[in-house]
Amino acid sequence: MAAVSADNVAFVYPSGVKAVEGLSICVRHGEVYGLLGLNGAGKTSVIKMLATLLRPTSGSIRIFDLDTMERPAEIKRRIGVVPQENNLDTYLDVRQNLIFHCRYAGMAKKIYAPLVDEWLALLGLEGKATESVLRLSGGTKRKAMLAKAFLTGPELLILDEPTAGLDPDVRALLWDRVGEFRRNGGTVFLSTHYLEEAERLCDRIGILHSGRVVAEGTVADLAHWAGQASAQQGGVAAAFRRAVGGCL
Amino acid sequence: MKFMLALLRRAATADIAAARLTAVRMLVQPAVYLFVFGHVVGGMLPAQNGGYAGIMAPGIVAISLITGPFVTVGGGVISGYYFRTMEEWLLAPVSLRAILAALVFGGLCYGLIGGAVVAALVWAILGLAPQNAGYMALTATVGALLFSLFTLVVLLVPETPDKGQEVFSFLMMPMTFFGCTFYSYDMLGAPFSYLALMLPTTYIAEGLRAAYRPDSPHMEAGMVLAGLSLAAAVLVPLADWAFRRRFRDFTW
Repeated sequence: MAAVSADNVAFVYPSGVKAVEGLSICVRHGEVYGLLGLNGAGKTSVIKMLATLLRPTSGSIRIFDLDTMERPAEIKRRIGVVPQENNLDTYLDVRQNLIFHCRYAGMAKKIYAPLVDEWLALLGLEGKATESVLRLSGGTKRKAMLAKAFLTGPELLILDEPTAGLDPDVRALLWDRVGEFRRNGGTVFLSTHYLEEAERLCDRIGILHSGRVVAEGTVADLAHWAGQASAQQGGVAAAFRRAVGGCL
Repeated sequence: MKFMLALLRRAATADIAAARLTAVRMLVQPAVYLFVFGHVVGGMLPAQNGGYAGIMAPGIVAISLITGPFVTVGGGVISGYYFRTMEEWLLAPVSLRAILAALVFGGLCYGLIGGAVVAALVWAILGLAPQNAGYMALTATVGALLFSLFTLVVLLVPETPDKGQEVFSFLMMPMTFFGCTFYSYDMLGAPFSYLALMLPTTYIAEGLRAAYRPDSPHMEAGMVLAGLSLAAAVLVPLADWAFRRRFRDFTW
C-alpha cells in the first residue's frame, strides 16, 4: 500500500484555468518525495488536493488507501500540512496557536501540553511563545507553522515550499526536523523550487511543468534522463532545465 | 463537539486578549444606548403603554442578539479570509458540516451572551425585566441562530468575504432601523408595516417586546414564530449550501 497515490488526476479552477493534468504519482511509506516546478506549475494545487482542500476535477487521490474525496476527515487526522502561506491565527500568540491547533484535532490537554512545550523548545520558540504572531519575523512564523504540522503526530507531512524566503539557518533547522521525521518512519511530500533542497532531502523527485509530471525518479535517474553519465552534483538542475525547456 | 468547543474557546481567548474592546462592544455601547434613549429620551416622551423605554429596550436586546453573531461568525470568516485561518480550520480532522456547525454555535453563544448582558443592563438602568422568560429565551435563541446563519450566507455567497462585507453594511442599517427595534410593529403604517414583515429583526424585536411587556401592543406569538420559522427554513439550507459551495474546494 502506497502512502500517496494519484491516478490520472486533473484539476481545473472554476475560472477554467487547468492547473493539473494527467498527474499520476506513487509515494511509498517512509519516502521523501519532492515536487519541483516553476511558479505556476501547479505544485500548490497538487498539495491542496493531497491535503483534501481541493477535489480533483477528474482522477482520484488516495492517502493511506483512503480516497481524498470520500474520507477527508480520516485523512486529515493522519497528515500534517505546512501550506505555502502561513495560516497562523493573528488573534492568538504563538503558544496559543499551537494549543488550538491540537484542540481542533481533538487532542486531550495531557497529550498536547507537553508536546507544545517540546516543539517550542525544539524550534527555539520558547522566547516567542507569548508573542503575538503579528509581531513575528517570517522565519519565526514558518517555525510555528512547522511545529503545528508535527504536533498532531502525523504519518505523512505535506509541505508546500516550506523554506521559501527563509534564512539559511532556519532552512537547515527545518531540513533537520524533516530528516528526523523521516528517520522515524514518516513519509514526506514536499514541493519546492529550490533544486538544492530537492536534491538534498528527497529520495525521488517529480518535475512538474504546466500541470504535468514531465520527469520523475531518483537524483541519479534524473541525471541520467538529462544526459549526464553519473548522478553528479547538478544532475537535478540539468534535468530541470531539460524538463521546463524554454521556460527558464 | 470537541471542535465546536475549541472554536468557541478560541473566540473567547481572542476576546479576553482584547478585553477593553470587548467590554466597549458588549457593555458600554448598549449601556449608553439604554441610558440616552431609554432613560433620558424615554423620560421626556409622554408615557404610553409603559413608556418609550419599555418599547425600545427589547429592541436594544434584539440588536445585541444580532451583532454578537455578526462579530463572532463574521469576524471568524473575515479573518479566515485575510489571515487564512479558515484554512487552519478546514485542515482540522472534522467534516465541513462540523466546521459550519461550530461557527454557527459560536455565533449563537455570543448572541445569547450579548443578549443576556443587555437584558441585565435593561434591568439595572431602566428597571425592566422580562415577564415571560421562556418566550424570551426561545426568541433570543432562534434570533441569534438566524443571524449566525445570515452572516454566513451574506459573507460566503459572494466570491470573497470582502465583497460580502459591503452587502452586509448595506443590509444591516435597514434591518436595524426598519426592523422594529426602536419602535413597535403596531406603530407602523403601510407601506412600512409590509416592509417590516420581510425583516427577521421585526420578529425578534416583537417577540422580545411580548416577553417583556405582554400587556402592551405587540405582534401575536403565532406570527412571531411563523416569521422566525420561515426565516430558519430559508437560512438553514442556504447557509449549508453557501458554506459547502465555498469550502468544498478551498480557493481563497
